[in-house]
This record gives sequence, structure tokens and C-alpha cells, in this order.
Amino acid sequence: MRYAPAILIGRIVRMLARWRKPGGGSAVPGLVVNKIAPGFLARTLNGFPEGLVIVTGSSGKSTITKMLVAVLRAHGKTVFTNPSTANISQGLTSALLEQASLTGHVDGDIAVLEMDEGHGAYIAGSLTPRVVTLTNVMVDQIDRFHDSEMVQAMLAKIAARATEAVVLNADDQYLQDLAGGVPSPVRVDRFGVTAEVLEANPRGLGYAQTAADRLPRGEGILVTRVSGRQADISLPEGDYTVGLPARGTHYAVDAVTALSAARAALGEAFRPDLAVAAVSTIPAVFGRGEVVSVRGRQVEFVLVQNPASFQLNVDSIEPGTDQILIAIGSDVRDPSYFWPVTTSGLGRVLIASGSKAHEIALQLAYDDVEVDRVEPDLGRALDDFLALPEPAVGLKTIIFSADGMRRTRAHLGLATNSEEQA
Amino acid sequence: MTAQGDPRPLAIVCLLPETLGGNGDAANARVLVQRARWAGMPADIIPVRTRADLPPQVDAVIVGSGTDADLVPVRDTLLTVADDLRTWATAGIPILAVGTGLELLSWGIELPGGSVVEGLGLVAGRAVPRLARATGDLVVTSRYGRLVGFENHARDFVGAEGSPLGRVAFGVGNGAGLEGVVMGNVIGTHLHGPVLAKNPGLADHLLRAIFAARGAEYAPAGRATEVDGIAKAARNQIAVRLGLAPE
Ligand SMILES: [Zn+2]
Repeated sequence: MRYAPAILIGRIVRMLARWRKPGGGSAVPGLVVNKIAPGFLARTLNGFPEGLVIVTGSSGKSTITKMLVAVLRAHGKTVFTNPSTANISQGLTSALLEQASLTGHVDGDIAVLEMDEGHGAYIAGSLTPRVVTLTNVMVDQIDRFHDSEMVQAMLAKIAARATEAVVLNADDQYLQDLAGGVPSPVRVDRFGVTAEVLEANPRGLGYAQTAADRLPRGEGILVTRVSGRQADISLPEGDYTVGLPARGTHYAVDAVTALSAARAALGEAFRPDLAVAAVSTIPAVFGRGEVVSVRGRQVEFVLVQNPASFQLNVDSIEPGTDQILIAIGSDVRDPSYFWPVTTSGLGRVLIASGSKAHEIALQLAYDDVEVDRVEPDLGRALDDFLALPEPAVGLKTIIFSADGMRRTRAHLGLATNSEEQA
Repeated sequence: MTAQGDPRPLAIVCLLPETLGGNGDAANARVLVQRARWAGMPADIIPVRTRADLPPQVDAVIVGSGTDADLVPVRDTLLTVADDLRTWATAGIPILAVGTGLELLSWGIELPGGSVVEGLGLVAGRAVPRLARATGDLVVTSRYGRLVGFENHARDFVGAEGSPLGRVAFGVGNGAGLEGVVMGNVIGTHLHGPVLAKNPGLADHLLRAIFAARGAEYAPAGRATEVDGIAKAARNQIAVRLGLAPE
């Protein structure tokens, strides 16, 4: 009963927070509980009978976590996981509070935690995960933390907590370098792509540093071919075809990351056919390949969160798509970090919008992309764009930064999306 | 001689585009190439990763900014072209150095522990640690017009007070009211990213020198004027947000 008072207080605070602002205040109760019972979070997360699996790294965390949870559930496990919006300790405590009994017990066989590497290094010290999964290190993450050694140190700190296995991307040199520091008997499991798959992506996969060598077949889980929304993969147990939530090699890599993590977490119980089927059920999410019907028009929304995802998305838009709107908002503090992206593949953009409309239009102009109109007022840009007749080639495509996405959803009344509901 | 007089395309060298390009600084090579092409002069970006990549003739050089972890290996690579850089600088070939690129072309970089990474000594000044990292908008009053951009650096730049690029109107710059360094056609700045796109006054100053070395005269093309309207709107938006008057 040691946490009962803290949990009760947390619940009352949560109720008050919701009463003040429906749907809001999710981090506040966690903040309160962390203050009055600081051990609650770690003790609960470490207390699941089949342990804790952590997913961290630059990109793909949300998709991979969702895939991994689906695979574990397909194997009959009850899984506790954090909503992707709550990957900080307060939000996490709030999420645990939702499900905790007064004794602090949370039902579930196993926990899967998506962790931001910055916050992760801060709370990881108190956690004892069985499996730590490292997705990748992208250049923008190095920018965010100023240098690569710092990024490596943070990920190493999380990886060092693993008691059974560290699962990592063999094509990412920063992660490969880190593997050498994993102490035995903790195992290192690797996943990656074949040389042919890498060659099909002449600009690479967005890693800050791509490893010189590919993982040989039979060692770990490999993406051997990507075709539209399907990928062929090779597991030590055999070859399979997996369905992806959207086009693009990075989704195939997300799938093998999740499968590798599941394989490490389930051990003998892992069944590749069940696992592949479960990964294939993950739907596209808003801003990541999902096509939405808005005002009678089919629209594809594309979220760019960093230069790497910007490049991958530009490269995967159907060539000749003739109705593109791009909205870069105030969340992109310094748009110059997008300039390593080659946007020329877009060909023509009807409207550049958002508070950084002129900045992105300038980059497009230097890439020989025709920009018909610069309209910083996103509401007006969206209204005019959606009012245009159906495109001749491709879907109406709206590319936005996270801030552009929030404003777009608010303006179009797209109140929720499948990712947040999941 | 016209812009078409010499059929050899301009060679705009971009040194270590991958290691010195994370902030978008390498894009300045693209800006020079595009503006030259728009003005009727063929031009190519020449990525140079080792000295063997150098073209027989060089018309301009971009040295961008990298991470501190790479300071020594990058400096060691730059040392292999130090004589070339000195020859180009003496010949008046434009060299634009941004962020750590500038620091590595200077006398050297002092690190917090007291150790020093010796620079190439191409420009006056040296980089010394600041108390807090300078990250934010940077506005500079210069003879090439008001320069607007973003800075993100952990060190001040001292010893170049005699020939700065300009005076800081907003931000930190070198750290004592001045920003950058100019020596002939060698320009060093903390304005990172596509500074030449956002500030075509500076780009055209370099292009006039590049064209003149070919016996041609540079005049911005109509396309450049259009694009410069976008750049001006972007600069003014930032200036107004910072409480400065628009141009
Ligand atoms: Zn409207």
C-alpha cells in the first residue's frame, strides 16, 4: 500500500485537471505523483512479470512501438504501453496512474516503452529493461544535442540498462560503435537492409553515419526487397512478406526493428508467421501515408519532422504529382537545416505556406521547383488548395511540419487522428 | 568578353560537403551555381572530399560548419589543401567560410579544457569558449546590406576586430558587437545555412568577383530578382519579429 496515498492524490489531480480543461492536463497528475512518491514510476515499470522493453533512437519510435505491441498481443500477451504523446516521465506516470490499482499494481504481462533519448537518459538509470531497442541516429538529432558524442552517450546510457539483449540497427555506424560496449552476457541482436535495398535508396536511409558493411543473411532480421507497401524480409526462421503502413524503405526498417525486438522479448515463444501478420495490420497514421477525405477531396498528408524524413518523403511522392501544398511552421526554428534536402523532385508546388512560407519557398526556388504562390496564411492557403478541382496526376498532397499539421487539423476540423486514438 | 566568353563552367568548390554541411551551409555552393546559371554562365558544384577531387581551376570555395567531434579530422583534411587555399585567397578567389569552417581557417580554436586545435591561419582571429552557446537569430549591418540569418556556435571569435564583416544589430556574432571577418574576398561568418540565398547582396558581391576573374560582368538575372523578392520577405519577417525596421 506504500503508493496508495500518492495514487489517490494523482487521481484527484487528474480529475481536477480534466474538469478544468476536458482532455487536457495529462502531465500534471504525473508531476504530482513523481513529487510525493518518486519511486512509483520505476518500481511499476520494473514490476511486469515478463519485464520491460524500451524503444529509443532518432526516428520511427512510435510506429515501431505500435508494431511491437501488436506482435506481443498476437502472441497472447497483455501489454502495458505509453501513448506516444506521453514519452516523458510525468506523462508516463499519468498513463500508469490510469491503470494502477491503489497498491500500485498495473495489470499486464510485459511493458513496452517508447522513450525519447533525452528524457530516456534522465529516467533510464532507475529502470531494468530486459530488452533495449535502438532505432537509428539521424543528423538532426545530433543538431538537437549539438554533437554526436553526446547522442551516443545518451543512447549508451539507456542501452547499458539492458539485462538480456540490446537490439540495434546494423546499418547505423553510431549504433554499431555502441555495440562493443555492451557487457556480456547481454546479447546484441541486429537488424538491417541488404546491399540491394540500400542501393535502391541512393541518398541513403537518413542515418548520420551509414555503416560500411551490411548484415549477412541469416544473422538477424533483414529487409531484402521493398515494393510499394510491401517488403520481403529474411528471418533466421525463413523468408516472409510483410505489409507496411505506407510506402518507403524506412517503414520496412521499422517492421524489422519491431520484429527483432519482439523476437528478443519473446524468445522461444516467438512465432514469425504470427509476428509478420500482426505487423502487417498496422494502419497508416495521419501525416504518415494515411489518405483522408476532406471536403469531398482525397488528400494525402505528409509530416516532415527532420531533414531525413523530409528527403524520404519527397523521394516517395508519386512523380508528377501536380497539386502540392507545403506548410512549414514556427516549430522549425531555423529552416536552414532543411537545405541539405534536395527538393527538386517535387517539380512544382502550388502554395508555400505557414509562418516559414518564404524560407521554404526560397529553398524550393533554388532547387528549380516552381512555386506558384507564397501564402503565409495557412487557413487561406488550405481553403484555396482544397477548392481546386481534382489533380491530373497523384493525390492532393499536403506536406507539413508538426506545427503546420496542428494548424491544418484545427482549421479543417480534423480533431483526432488514428495515432492518438491508438 | 561576355558571360559566354569562356566555355569552361565555373567550378564552385564545396569542401567536405557531408561533414561540413549539416546546417545547410554547403547549400551556399548551390546558390552561387544557380545565380551564375540564371545569369547565363554555366557553373558546377564540385564536392571536394580529398585533395584529389580538386578541379584544375577553382572559381569559388565554400567551407561549411561541422560538429565539434569532427574538428581535428576535418582540420587535418583541410591541411592537405592549405597551400591551395592560400593561393586562391591571394589570387582573390572568393572563399566563404561558415561557423567551424571560419574557426578552422583562423589561427585556431581554444577548447574548454585549455587545449587548442591549431587552425590553418588563413584569416586573422581565433575562437575562444563562450559561457553559453549562442543560438538564435543574427542580424548584421554590413556594406553588402543588412544580413539576416541564424547562428549556433559555442565560441566567440576574437582578434579580427580590424576587418569584420559587419556590426551586430541583433544576436551575438563574434561576441563583442562585431560579426565575421573579411580579408580580400575571403569572408568568414557565423551566419549559418544558406546565408547567400537569404542575403543576395553578399552573393552578388562574390559573383561580381567570380565573373570579373573571367573577364565578364555579372548582372543579376530576372529570375534572381524574383527569387530575391522572396528572400527579402523572409528577412523582413525576421527583422520585424526582432523589433527591427523592415528594409
Ligand atoms: Zn478556412
